[in-house]
Amino acid sequence: MSDKRVKIISLLLTSCMLLFTQVAKSTIDSYQFEDPEMEARFQQLIFELRCPKCQNQNLADSNSALSMDLKSIVYEKLISGETDEQIKSFMKQRYGDFILFDPEMNRDNAILWFGPIVFLCLILIIFIRWYIRNRVNNND
Amino acid sequence: MEDNVGTKSTSFKNFFIVSLFLVVVAGFYLLIGQDKTILPSQLIDRTVPKFQVEDLLDNSVIRSNTDFEGQITLLNVWASWCPACYAEHPYWEEYAKNKDVVLVGLNYRDSKSKALKFLKEQGDSFAWNIFDQNGRLGIEFGVYGAPETFVIDTNGKVLYRHVGVVTPEVFESIFIPMIEQIKKGL
Repeated sequence: MSDKRVKIISLLLTSCMLLFTQVAKSTIDSYQFEDPEMEARFQQLIFELRCPKCQNQNLADSNSALSMDLKSIVYEKLISGETDEQIKSFMKQRYGDFILFDPEMNRDNAILWFGPIVFLCLILIIFIRWYIRNRVNNND
Repeated sequence: MEDNVGTKSTSFKNFFIVSLFLVVVAGFYLLIGQDKTILPSQLIDRTVPKFQVEDLLDNSVIRSNTDFEGQITLLNVWASWCPACYAEHPYWEEYAKNKDVVLVGLNYRDSKSKALKFLKEQGDSFAWNIFDQNGRLGIEFGVYGAPETFVIDTNGKVLYRHVGVVTPEVFESIFIPMIEQIKKGL
């Protein structure tokens, strides 16, 4: 096969491959901060807040429309001088504890915090009672 | 006699330990076994948030939270970009025959032209539609997708939020008993 023919075939193959490529597009958020400390708070908040729509992602990672809206709200509230707690409270009032990646302990989730300890204690009690009874029986 | 008391006390202790064990396991099961894709609404038993947003069909009309007072409302969150809303929409025509409730639409994060086209093509069974173009009112309601439907009583208090399509089964088994309950209290 001549060099020229190889070049033409290569060119055609490359053109075909290019036809099937996709353009990767992502939106870049443009939140402007004059104060670097406020920007750090913004980054921390969108890291800690969960996207209610795409539940395994935080606001920072999610590109869903709802996440964009919530990020804008975080930004607006920071600029207007609200504290981190006020912003988290705003989100919690609308989406519940679920929106916090690190949920606070309350009456509803107390069993998840204390359940394992109670569970372990119960297992221990059952085991100790069984052990003592077995020992008494063996001694008899 | 003493042996009898001792046996009773031991079996009570065993019963108590087993019961506690079962309660802990049941608690875990209930909390971990919940469908995490459905978020509980934070508005339940609270009045609808204060708002003033324009009507979709007539922008000279401003809709507000007070518009829910004095009627039983089913507030349906819909959008022209939501495929499930196309599946759900024909049902609303049926539900509109129920004269005990007022059906209100909340057009969520949509463009006006697409929303109007949706209503023209799919039909408009809603008494009125709120035009929440930027989705901020949706956030006030804790909306995280479409469709969602809120049951609101005559005092403007939210009683229930359904996430997903309101099928005739859902309407009959959940919405109708709730509407009857509200009517009884009037």
